[in-house]
Amino acid sequence: MKKKIPVKVITYIFLAFIAILVIFPIYVTFATAFKTTEESTKNFFSWPQNIYIGNFVKVMADAHFWDYIKNSFLITVISVVVTGIMIPMVSFSIARLMRKYKYFKILYFVFVLSLFAPFQVLMVPLTQLCTKLGLMNQAGIILIYCAFALGQGVFLFVGYYKSIPVELEEAAVIDGCTTTQTFFKIVFPLAKPMTMTVIILNTLWIWNDFLLPLLILNKSASNWTLPLYQYNFKSAYTFDYNLAFASFMFSIVPMIIMYICLQKNIIEGLTAGAVKS
Amino acid sequence: MKTKNKMTRKEKILLSWTIIPLALYTLFFIVPVAMGINYSFTDWNGLTQTYNYNGIANFISLFTSKRILNSLAFTGKYTFFLVIIIMFLAMLFTILLTYVVSTRLRTFFRSVIFFPVVLSLVTVGLVWNQIMYRVLPQLGQMLGIGWLSSNILGDPKTAMWGVIFVNVWQGVAVPFVILLAGIQNVPTDLYEAAKIDGATPFKLFTKITIPFLIPTINVAFVMVLKSGITVFDYIQAMTAGGPMRSTESAGVLIYELAFTDSKAGQASAYAFLLLIIIALISVLQMKVSSKVEVGQL
Repeated sequence: MKKKIPVKVITYIFLAFIAILVIFPIYVTFATAFKTTEESTKNFFSWPQNIYIGNFVKVMADAHFWDYIKNSFLITVISVVVTGIMIPMVSFSIARLMRKYKYFKILYFVFVLSLFAPFQVLMVPLTQLCTKLGLMNQAGIILIYCAFALGQGVFLFVGYYKSIPVELEEAAVIDGCTTTQTFFKIVFPLAKPMTMTVIILNTLWIWNDFLLPLLILNKSASNWTLPLYQYNFKSAYTFDYNLAFASFMFSIVPMIIMYICLQKNIIEGLTAGAVKS
Repeated sequence: MKTKNKMTRKEKILLSWTIIPLALYTLFFIVPVAMGINYSFTDWNGLTQTYNYNGIANFISLFTSKRILNSLAFTGKYTFFLVIIIMFLAMLFTILLTYVVSTRLRTFFRSVIFFPVVLSLVTVGLVWNQIMYRVLPQLGQMLGIGWLSSNILGDPKTAMWGVIFVNVWQGVAVPFVILLAGIQNVPTDLYEAAKIDGATPFKLFTKITIPFLIPTINVAFVMVLKSGITVFDYIQAMTAGGPMRSTESAGVLIYELAFTDSKAGQASAYAFLLLIIIALISVLQMKVSSKVEVGQL
């Protein structure tokens, strides 16, 4: 019994240290964003004595500032909504017909294949392709996200549909439902937990993505997303890091709010996404 | 085509649902992969309309170019330490939270440790870049720690560790929650049976917990391995491959070759090498995990 107490004490001290290490950069971001340059030069660690919003005013004065917010928001929402309907539908076709027709089985393996490809392979050709097709813009990147989301989404959904009994669908057909009605009234509601998982995985990925916007949207500032804007202003803010931290707040705060609201779903979703793929 | 005539109305509707996804996937995945393979056999610079085929010259250059070999060595070293540190910490957190910490605090610590996952890799890199540039040197001087008194990212000897630290800060979360979920799925009746047989807690852990966790460890391990091999965002945001190319990873160099150095052909060949490495790891993982599962049954 005597031995147990020190182990506990050391564990809690260690974990408290880890917790501080996790929160520290977030604290610094908040504190610095609300301080003037003079105040943070004096003491980087202190909480701002007077809340100074001048940094935010300056960041928002950027001619394209609202474009970055709008782009990030629209690209994420449209891609997530489209994939949130398209993936459940195509996965349903595959799950129900892959044992009967070769086409669906091959389709499944072709989609899942993309999980193995590192993005570097697609970098050069994708840029070339989008230039030729005139898709170096928001519409182009949305189409690409929809295509890239298929691999993991189809993999997760096909596995999930196997657990939904076919008898329910047959009963709905007897009651006079068409195939489309059966899907949307019976199957889609039953698959809600998996839809939630896929939506969370895709939202985090698309909102936070950097490499694809860097390739497709970097040419004109009016096309930038928030991560791209922060990256491009890295050098512009070298001398005014309070501004840099204020700009980080715009992508961190929405995610903190989302994490607080949907924490359980996010942890479960990412665990499921990782374990099953 | 025989099957098509036999298809019922329902099956035709389901078939129509696959058309748009397949078209998107073909255009943005299959076509680009094919284009990339084609480019890797050319001297294309990424800008002109024309290019010449040069056989396997690009692939030979992967093993003769000093810069490429340097980036391969860096990526290997980076991945090695990343995997060791993340797996060790993820396992440590899992053990501490499962066996030492009370249930209420377990939920709290899990939430805190997991939080960085929701942030953008590039934002995390930029925030830490500022901290390492401005805050840590101040702290180092205050505490009189030599190596901390100057920017760690500015020195070729320490820059890699700065990036690894940030990658671990964010990257430990998912392996950790996977292991935590895995350890809670170990059937408790096995523990009780072993306890009756007089097994020590250490024996319980090594003989029951670890074998049950192996498939989960395998998943987490391969995930971290792949993320290390393809690392890009953190480096681009923190050091851009510098100082003096000391942090130039494969992912960063492929980007540089393609878009800065006008060597799209060589970049494609290098990307293809990465694809082969990742594919081999995935195949190996599937073989190992299927064996483990068979062994358990």
